[in-house]
Amino acid sequence: MQERLSGLFTRNNRIAVTIFVVIILAPFAYSLVRPVLTRGSSPNDVFIELPDTGECVRDTEYMRFHHMDLLKETREDVIRRGIRGDITFTGCRDCHTYRGQFCNKCHDAVTLNVDCFGCHYYPESAEDSLRLEGEGHDG
Amino acid sequence: MDVKFAPIEGRSTGYLVATGLLALFALAGVYATWLMHVHGLQLSGMTNRVPWGLQISMAIFYIGLSAGSLVVSGLYGIFGQMQYKPFARIAAYLAMLFLIAGLLSILTDQGRIDRVFVKPFTYFNLESMFSINPGLYSGHIMICVLYLWALFKEKGTLTKIVSLVVCLWAIGTHTGTGAIFAFVPRELYNSSLLPPSFVAAALSSGAALMILVNVVLFKGTGRSLDDEIIVWLGRRLLAVFLLVTLYMLLIENVHRVYLVESREAGMFFLFGGFHSILFWFGLIGFGSIVPAILLYVRRTGTSIGWITFSASLVVVGVLCERFLIVIPGLIHPPDLFPGMEVTGTVLNEGVMHYSISFLEVLQTLGVLGIIGFAFMVGLKVMPLAPVEAKAKLEEPKKTSKILALIGGQASEPLST
Amino acid sequence: MDRRKFLEKSGVALAGTSGVLSLPLLTSCTASSQSADSPLSGRRWGMVIDLSRCSEDCTACMDACRSENNVAFHGDERWDIHWIRRVNISPKDSEHRDEKSVLLMCNHCDNPPCAQVCPVQATYKREDGIVVVDHHRCIGCRYCMIACPYNARFFNYLENPEWPNKDFPRRSHGVAESCTFCAHRLDEGLQPACVEACRNAGHGALIFGDLNDPNSEVSRMVAEEPVKRIREDWGTEPKVFYLGL
Repeated sequence: MQERLSGLFTRNNRIAVTIFVVIILAPFAYSLVRPVLTRGSSPNDVFIELPDTGECVRDTEYMRFHHMDLLKETREDVIRRGIRGDITFTGCRDCHTYRGQFCNKCHDAVTLNVDCFGCHYYPESAEDSLRLEGEGHDG
Repeated sequence: MDVKFAPIEGRSTGYLVATGLLALFALAGVYATWLMHVHGLQLSGMTNRVPWGLQISMAIFYIGLSAGSLVVSGLYGIFGQMQYKPFARIAAYLAMLFLIAGLLSILTDQGRIDRVFVKPFTYFNLESMFSINPGLYSGHIMICVLYLWALFKEKGTLTKIVSLVVCLWAIGTHTGTGAIFAFVPRELYNSSLLPPSFVAAALSSGAALMILVNVVLFKGTGRSLDDEIIVWLGRRLLAVFLLVTLYMLLIENVHRVYLVESREAGMFFLFGGFHSILFWFGLIGFGSIVPAILLYVRRTGTSIGWITFSASLVVVGVLCERFLIVIPGLIHPPDLFPGMEVTGTVLNEGVMHYSISFLEVLQTLGVLGIIGFAFMVGLKVMPLAPVEAKAKLEEPKKTSKILALIGGQASEPLST
Repeated sequence: MDRRKFLEKSGVALAGTSGVLSLPLLTSCTASSQSADSPLSGRRWGMVIDLSRCSEDCTACMDACRSENNVAFHGDERWDIHWIRRVNISPKDSEHRDEKSVLLMCNHCDNPPCAQVCPVQATYKREDGIVVVDHHRCIGCRYCMIACPYNARFFNYLENPEWPNKDFPRRSHGVAESCTFCAHRLDEGLQPACVEACRNAGHGALIFGDLNDPNSEVSRMVAEEPVKRIREDWGTEPKVFYLGL
């Protein structure tokens, strides 16, 4: 069966595919390269001021790298099994008042978006708290 | 008869303009979807009473087209007869593209697109048609790929087996898609006839699509086409599917109107709003009866022009039918208190209205743009289009001026 | 590598990818696992609405629900969410003489069609019978809204502009929701906001309790009074009963 000879791997096709692949991979390449270019953006390098108002529910090392697992387990327990314990965002806020100096520090550094605070109340700063205050009506 | 396949040249102005336009549509659709993702689905015409709209209607339309054209193409494999061979590859490729279009339409309709790439693959609910169907759809795509591969390789027995699997799986996919609506306790959705009637309408739209695509491709690229194939597609396949669909629609509506409990809803569907115009004129009149007559009357049923016209009518008719599956059931309120009239105090508890928003139209154009672009590129890169398709040695037929806008001249000589 | 091999390999890659994407079917984690010692086991929450005590002009339950649960209100009936709402019903062919006022809300069915159709089990029935949405998992497909025969479910088409109760999360746009029987309050031993508000307003039309507890008021009313549910013939087994319907 003779196939037509405008081959698949002509020079033009190769150039086009290369450009396409480069465009698609560019964002991933950027996020790989960015931590190298920006100093102090690995979780190990970010300095978070720890309040001296007592102990956290877990130690710092664990929280730094596994807080998301803790949150996920707590979430499943609370929502699906009705088991409400002492791990809540309100609890975090008791010591880490604003997430600008807490969650946002690492997350901004590694450019990892957090989906939580569109729904859960945790103001970034005092100004943010005032802004959110205006969004409640008396009642 | 020996059928040769070849990629098209793809250098004509018509081809380049069409491909460029499709790419633009695709970008517009991406932009519209991004806007909705950021600002919320309020940018669409959907509301709390009408949570599904144009995108879902188009999705089931595309899925219907996909299975329909695949079954038609599969007939080549099953019966192994050469007169079906010329359009088998294009049919399989289009089937795959249209299923992807259906999936894209559903994807753009989700409230949290960022989650829909992960959650449905890690969490299942085997009781939910929305969980079962993606399995059917992925399988469908895999089988399309396998079928295309078997066609390219010209493996006779494998093609036969795969085309049988293709037909059965396509019917399964469509039953599943119909079941999304049929297996739900809503007055105008809940119906055992809905999955089979969905399959029947899918087959008619698929056959119509095959007619349209092949006429355009053959005439438009100067390949000669044996009219007998198109006549067979039209009079033997499409006309039969049309009658079956009409029959099912008749039973479904008579049933609803006959039983007292569903009579009010049934009458609302038939006579209660703008959708009724779509039903009587779009689906029944111009979408089914007129094409059926045109196809059965010998004079029009053997003319390529009239068959193509009927096929276009059928495509529009089935599009109306998909819209009619989704929307009337939502704008009609549920009968919560039989025998009572319900007036809302904070919400509209009666018949709702749904109007399509501009961004939804852009999304639809975007999906069509993406798969149209993929189709155009596929035609140029893969040997999908047959050089010619005729049962006997004949002089090539004259090309029609209008259709010659698309595609270029075949690069191989037109004789076998 | 010539074209044929390339196409073959692409086809295999595509087929392989589709196959790989179906693998989670084997390793899927469903959310139906409940531990035996869960605080929810044994209960079956239900509500009785005494329509004779519900006053037509009162909106206490609706306002309390909105403030407690941060339910979105935009002033536009297309997108407004009402976890509990009032409708007026009158017999057809009457002149609105026998108009009755009925409160509609999620019925927390024992056979919830919404939970049956949720593709990711974001909508599910808790062990204590409450039908809840896990807003972390909801993909916003709105199939649950299609499936609910009572039209009791809503979708967040817009961002919620208000946050009256900062102790409770609000929903961002793109997820579906409906009444939760104030599950977060129940888990702490309180009554739902609407029930409390109705009592505080002096009407006491909403009676809430554990249907599995034979001594609770709801159990007594369901057993002794002529309570009805909306469209019992649908087989959904709702747990909101009406007195005076």
